[in-house]
Amino acid sequence: MGLSFGTKAPPTALSGEVEVSGLGKKYGVIEVLKDVNISMAEGEVVSVIGPSGAGKSTFLRCLNYLEKPSSGTIAIGGARVVAGEKLPDKASLDHLRRVTGMVFQSFNLFPHLTVMENITLPQRKVLGSSKEQAEEVANQLLKRVGLPEKAKAYPARLSGGQQQRIAIARALALSPKVMLFDEPTSALDPEIGLEVLAVMRDLADEGMTMLVVTHEMHFARDVSERIMVMGNGGVLEIGPSRQVMSEPQNDRTRQFLKAVLDR
Amino acid sequence: MDLITQWLGWMPNLTPGLVISLQLTGLALLIGFPFGLLLAVMAEAKFKPFQWISFAFVEIGRGLPALVLLYLLYFSLPDAGITLTSLTTAIIALSWNTGAYASEYFRAGLAAVPLGQKEAAITSGLSGWTGFRIVILPQALRISTPPLAGLAVLVFQGSALAFVIAVPELMSKAFEIGSITFEYLSVYTLTAVIYGTLTLIFLGLVRILELRLGRHLLRN
Repeated sequence: MGLSFGTKAPPTALSGEVEVSGLGKKYGVIEVLKDVNISMAEGEVVSVIGPSGAGKSTFLRCLNYLEKPSSGTIAIGGARVVAGEKLPDKASLDHLRRVTGMVFQSFNLFPHLTVMENITLPQRKVLGSSKEQAEEVANQLLKRVGLPEKAKAYPARLSGGQQQRIAIARALALSPKVMLFDEPTSALDPEIGLEVLAVMRDLADEGMTMLVVTHEMHFARDVSERIMVMGNGGVLEIGPSRQVMSEPQNDRTRQFLKAVLDR
Repeated sequence: MDLITQWLGWMPNLTPGLVISLQLTGLALLIGFPFGLLLAVMAEAKFKPFQWISFAFVEIGRGLPALVLLYLLYFSLPDAGITLTSLTTAIIALSWNTGAYASEYFRAGLAAVPLGQKEAAITSGLSGWTGFRIVILPQALRISTPPLAGLAVLVFQGSALAFVIAVPELMSKAFEIGSITFEYLSVYTLTAVIYGTLTLIFLGLVRILELRLGRHLLRN
């Protein structure tokens, strides 16, 4: 595609769909990701589950080039990158990262900045928004994640659940087409995790396209349309959530689900 | 009482020396710290020649005693056709020495910022220099502040070495007074009191600065 996007380019009409084909990653001779394919419609939510070491996080992190895939094609929301030996050009990378928002297991809020600055700084630097515009967006997002009173707080003063909701707001501030969640509740105790899951559920209801690496089986079954099960660097199976949960086709999937659901 | 009178009588002669010592220290820090940060960033650069240049400056600056560096510059630069005042030579030598040590503290500070911060900066569109400046550097500087403050004290005390290349700083003024009055013990005791007092005041100020810089990390 001949699109060139500067960092300050306004969001244009992009499809919001995900097309990943033949995605692979090797460390030397070790293949940690092999031939992962997925295509997602706009507004679709897909949960990625599987045992640890299956490559779930690596898969997600390859999508925005936090890790460099060795092969395959990634097309997200109008951005398109072909993986290879060399890094893609900066414009393509920026575009890819521009259309994806990411939420980490460990929140990764900027600890030296207030909640407001965490959400406004990216807007001001990336979108070129004025302070007023950025703060208006931030205030709306803070309301959306249920923390309007925390604007002036520093992250260290917030609970883990609150930090993660702020992290979601920060990612949303750049109006991504697709949100990537990397085990967003794994660092939280089960009860606190619920407040984060509630925000994610709202987001899904509002039509955000989401790819969620998770161990939350209720979320996977009830919120996501499809579940992708990964194991040993590859996709074991992918299908409608309830079907994968109740009638898994793959032995390894059955074994994993039994382990998760029996505990 | 006699001692106090004697010391007060020497102060007009010592004060210009103290001013030179403070100027020398201030300039060595003002040049040395940014130089150290530059060396730290170059040491982490992907471009190999940057790493080599940084390595050379750091290892020479740390490998040689400041006194040796002073002498080397003082006696070699004129041979190379560069004539500088002894004060300028001392500033260069101490800045180099300061920069070499500071670069290690900056590197430690940069390395101590969790990788997740860089990843969050990238995914928030703050990649490259912008992300470094807004996200990584402020956190690294806070971590590096205590050791850098300790280094600043060492540089202040090390500025006394400039005495050997005839910079008219505090130590040389004290020596002058000693050689005229033969009251060496008394004048060097006064010098020690001056160095010690200023050092303690400075460290107190740094402590306040540290608390301010760390305010955002307090939970309550």
